[in-house]
Amino acid sequence: MNGLMKRCALLACCLLSLAIATAGCGNAAKSKKEVVVFWQFFPAEQIQPVLDEFAKQNPDLDVQMEQLTWQSGLEKITAATAAGNVPDLCELGSTWFPRFASQGALADWSDSTAPLATGMVLADMAQVNGKAYGLPWVVGTRALFWNKDLFAKAGLDTTKAPETWPELLEASRKINALGGGIAGYGVNAGERYVLFKKFMPYAWGNGGTLLTPDGKGSAFDSRANLEALDLLLTLAKNGRVDKQDQLDEAFMQGKLGAQISGAWLFRKIPKQAPDLHYGVALVPKPAGDHGTHASFAGGELLASFSKSKNPTGAWRLAKFLASRDAALMLCKANQSVQPAVVGAVADVYYQSRPNEAVMVEQLASAVPTPNHPAWLDMESAIEDEVEKALYGKATAASAISAASKRIDELAKTTEPAAR
Amino acid sequence: MTARAAKRRGRFEPATWILLSPWILALVVFVAYPFGFSFALSFYDYSPLNPAAAKFLGLANYAEALSDPLFWTAMRNTLVFVFGTIPFTTTLALGLALGLKRAFRGRDFYRAGFFLPTVVSIVVISLVWKGLYAPEGPLSALAQSLGLVPPRWLLDPNTALASIMAMDVWAASGYYMVIFLAGLQAIPEELYEAAALEGASSWQRFRHITLPMLKPTFLFVLVVNSVRSLQIFTEVFVMTGGGPLHSTVTSVFYLYEQAFYKFRLGYASAIAYLLFSLTLLLAFAQVKWLKLEGPKS
Repeated sequence: MNGLMKRCALLACCLLSLAIATAGCGNAAKSKKEVVVFWQFFPAEQIQPVLDEFAKQNPDLDVQMEQLTWQSGLEKITAATAAGNVPDLCELGSTWFPRFASQGALADWSDSTAPLATGMVLADMAQVNGKAYGLPWVVGTRALFWNKDLFAKAGLDTTKAPETWPELLEASRKINALGGGIAGYGVNAGERYVLFKKFMPYAWGNGGTLLTPDGKGSAFDSRANLEALDLLLTLAKNGRVDKQDQLDEAFMQGKLGAQISGAWLFRKIPKQAPDLHYGVALVPKPAGDHGTHASFAGGELLASFSKSKNPTGAWRLAKFLASRDAALMLCKANQSVQPAVVGAVADVYYQSRPNEAVMVEQLASAVPTPNHPAWLDMESAIEDEVEKALYGKATAASAISAASKRIDELAKTTEPAAR
Repeated sequence: MTARAAKRRGRFEPATWILLSPWILALVVFVAYPFGFSFALSFYDYSPLNPAAAKFLGLANYAEALSDPLFWTAMRNTLVFVFGTIPFTTTLALGLALGLKRAFRGRDFYRAGFFLPTVVSIVVISLVWKGLYAPEGPLSALAQSLGLVPPRWLLDPNTALASIMAMDVWAASGYYMVIFLAGLQAIPEELYEAAALEGASSWQRFRHITLPMLKPTFLFVLVVNSVRSLQIFTEVFVMTGGGPLHSTVTSVFYLYEQAFYKFRLGYASAIAYLLFSLTLLLAFAQVKWLKLEGPKS
């Protein structure tokens, strides 16, 4: 045993030194080109073709791409920022972005991005305190997925999706009454950073807001938000409360009438439930004559750090990646996200894919989260309280007012920006 | 040159230092330095995104933790986890070790089988059990076929933590089984033979030979398992994210959220040190407890 361990240790040492030696060689061979270090989350097979295209157009730059994982990527970026050992260009999720921007970690791109802003969907996503700290790259939203077979079984119209709250309620009630393990509507709970994205579409659509216009107080305790929570609670009674992957699973098994979900299903459904007869529609609005088809807008931004070594190279790469053709190339490979450039929906790709086109259409009325440094705490506050109401531990009214109190405290005590 | 010989001569050979240096270096860089650095951090308002703006707070982080209701929820959940799993894990591991000590056909198969969860990534185990606990999963189907209303497992605040605990007992027992097996094999066979000659029953042999002789093993199993259980994180991260209604937020999960979602590294470090003190206290109590009733010679 001891001898084996020694041999293993020796082997490990040899491999390590070999790795160090070859890594050194690799750098030496490439040192003629200017290096741009790029950290991002997309699978290599989706992003590499786009980077190859960039390499063709920019032979003087050598992009060193590193793929991060959703499990540990944020930790890695955080640690790198603390150590000052940052990449030149980095993909950042829109919910993390305000913290990085407001603490002075990111490079100010206001001057470079200003000419591009009009061509961008949700350009505000990159704005913190009037300055732009990034470039919107790809965006994603949530829409209503509905099962046409279950609508038919329940005697509902299968030619069009529910457009208003009353229509949605009626549909979920009738489908839920079918029994046999079939649920009318899927409400999220039991995990974090999800429920918010499924509740706020109804609140925003009803005219509800989160913060006062100056961002210094809560505007959450409103009639509009209360009505939206009442709707969610009624939907939960006529459906099931579960985690996202379980709801998606139930939807694909034909056991769920409708749910708000995301574009990731476009990749899953053809593989796991090719015979599912479903539709995608805008999130229902409160009534035919008022409200909007609002939804949650999230996205990925490209940003450079104030300590990045190659800011010009980073900007050249960012500008290329966010351009219409490059972003479309990535989105077609990935299918869960849409380009952040205006007019992408006109691409012939979306004309042959009506469900994915609905996602792009939904983006037009989707709302991004406020770029407040304490945003993640506010999101937790809303999820905590809404979940309490879902589990019957609080009334809708007390949940809304409790969440509002916490948001107000966060808005008042958090410094808006470090610089 | 053995370590003992070196010690006898009162000094280490230079070769000893050279051979040990990678380990000492790794210990200093990856254990001692972070250990000290995080202790210092626990007195600061420190964001990794802007280290230059760190502010000294004194004991404010500790005071905040002690008055933070979520910190106490996390502590309570952690202690429920520790005290709710360790008796079961220990008993199960000892039972398995006793059962698999004697030679019988297929013994190695069972030993390997029970040990298997130890070599599988805990992330994989958590994902598999998340599937088992799903409302459409096999456990719910089993309950239904027995005519019961299946519990909501991970979705019910009353059962979520218990569900994770049950999985942990299953996943951890195999490892401690191996430790107990080693302990059992170290007990001299003559003791049992002598006791059998004196007419001791199998229970008496277990109670008066096996248990006292296993005391050091028990101590090791209890301390190691407590330290590990107090740091329970991955299972929660993968299976519930602390929910529903904070019913599965554990101390390490809470400090992880503070550190990497809210970028409050100082506060997270203070929580880590409070947990560390608790761990130390518990380990100390276990050592004391098992020493008080040492084997009578």
